[in-house]
Amino acid sequence: MSVLDTTDALDVAGYAAAVRRGLADLGPEQVDDLTDDLEADLAEALDDERHVAHGRGVLEQFGPPEDYAAELRAAAGLAPATAPGRRVRLSDPVDDSRRFGRWVLRRLRALTWWAPVEAFLVALRPVWWLLRGWVAYQLVAMMAGVSGWLPRNLAALLVLVGCVVLSVQWGRGAWFQSRRVAWVALTANAVAVVAVLPLLGSVQDQLDDRDRIYDAYQAGNLGGFDTQTIIQDKAVDGVVVDGIQVSNLFVYDADGNPLTDVQVYDDRGRPVRTTFDNGFDQYWFPEATEPWSFVSRVDSDNRARWNVYPLQGAPTSEFTYDDEGLQVLPAGSSAATPPWPFAKAPALDDPPEAAIGADGPAPSPSPTSTP
Amino acid sequence: MDTTQLLKGVLDLAVLAVVSDEDGYGYDVVRRLRAAGIEEVGDASVYGTLRRLYSSGALTSYVVPSDEGPHRKYYGINAQGRAMLEAQRKDWQEFAGTMGRLLKTEVVR
Repeated sequence: MSVLDTTDALDVAGYAAAVRRGLADLGPEQVDDLTDDLEADLAEALDDERHVAHGRGVLEQFGPPEDYAAELRAAAGLAPATAPGRRVRLSDPVDDSRRFGRWVLRRLRALTWWAPVEAFLVALRPVWWLLRGWVAYQLVAMMAGVSGWLPRNLAALLVLVGCVVLSVQWGRGAWFQSRRVAWVALTANAVAVVAVLPLLGSVQDQLDDRDRIYDAYQAGNLGGFDTQTIIQDKAVDGVVVDGIQVSNLFVYDADGNPLTDVQVYDDRGRPVRTTFDNGFDQYWFPEATEPWSFVSRVDSDNRARWNVYPLQGAPTSEFTYDDEGLQVLPAGSSAATPPWPFAKAPALDDPPEAAIGADGPAPSPSPTSTP
Repeated sequence: MDTTQLLKGVLDLAVLAVVSDEDGYGYDVVRRLRAAGIEEVGDASVYGTLRRLYSSGALTSYVVPSDEGPHRKYYGINAQGRAMLEAQRKDWQEFAGTMGRLLKTEVVR
C-alpha cells in the first residue's frame, strides 16, 4: 500500500521519535496512547501527498516535530510541556504509582470475575472511611500518649468524631477536593493504609497485656512476677522443694547436730538422688564465689553412690579430667562437704519419733523447719 | 478571517460527525475531513481530538489487524458520543442561524 521509499520510512521513524520526545513528560503510557498509530498515519499522509505530486519531505509536510507534539497534546486536552528547555522530566513517584494503579485496574477490569468483586469492594468503601478515621484518631492518641480501642474521655471522643467526620466527608467527595489541599488528604490516606495493620496489632497487644495483668491480679499475685511457680506436667527426677530443684540435702539428728554420710532411700528402696550428671555439672551455693561439682561415694561393692548426703565435692576449678574424659579430683586434693546451711538445727523433744520421720518417702532438707 | 480559529471550537463536532458516518482510524478521519472541505485542520489536532473523545467516553476503539500494513486503531461512535453529537449539532445550528441572521441584517443595512 505504501509507496514510501526507505529514506522516507526512516524520516517517518525519526520524526515520530522526535514527536514522542516532545511528549516524554507525559509518561510512557500516555505517549503510547497518543502515538499508537503515528508512523502509520504519517506514512499514509505522506503517501497521499505523493499522489498530489508535491513531493514534500516530512518536515515540510508536518512542520517541526515539537509543534506537532504540542498540537497533539493540546487537542488531546493535555497541559503543554512544562519546561521547554528540559522536556524530559524526572519521573514523579506519585504519578508513576497512580499510573501503575490505573494500569492494574484496567487489566483487572478486563477479567470477567472482577466486576462483581469490584462492586463488592466499592460497597465496602464506607467501612474504610470509618477505619481511616479511627486510624487517624489512634495516631493522634499515640502522640498524646493515650491507648485503647476507643476514647475514654470527652476530649479524646471529640478527636475521634472529628477524624471520622473528616475521613467520611473526604471519602464522599464533599471536602478537600481543591487541588491545593488534595495532597494533604492523599498523604493522610496513604499513611492510614500503611498504619492500619501495625496499629491493630499494637492495640491488640496492649489489650493482651492488660488482660494478663488483670488475670494475675485476679489470681492474687500482682507484682509477684519475680516468684514464679513452675508447674511441669512431666515428673521431675530429683528432689524439689518449694518448686525448685534441690542439689544437696543436709541432715541433722534429733539433737539438731549435723550428720554426714547419710544414705537416703525412698519407700521402695530406690536411692534418692538430687543430681544425675555424675559429677559433670556445676552448682552454685548461696554466697559462693565459684561453682562446685560433686563427687560420688563408693560403697563396699565398689559401686558409685550418689544418695549419700550431704554430697561432697570441691570447687569445679580444682577438677581435672582423667584418661576416660571423666571429671575427677586430682590426687592432691580431696572432696569436702559444702557449707552447711546452719551448724545446728533445733533439737526435738521426742528423739525416737523423729528418727523415724527423718527417712520419710518425701525427703526434705530437714524434718524440722527450714528457712 | 482565519478559519483555523473558527475550527477550533467545532473540531469535536466535525470529528464526531465524521466518525458517526463510519468507523475510521486516525488518518482516515483526517482524509474524510479534508474531503468534506475542512482543509486547514492539522493532522495532530485530529489525532489528539480522537484521543480525547475516546478518553471522555464518547468513542469506542478497536484494533484492526492488517496483512499489508501496520495494525490500525479504529474509532467508532457510541451512545454517549451520539448524544454529544446531537446536542452539539443543535447548538451549532442555533448558533449558525443566529450568526446568519446577524450577518444578513448587517449586509442589508
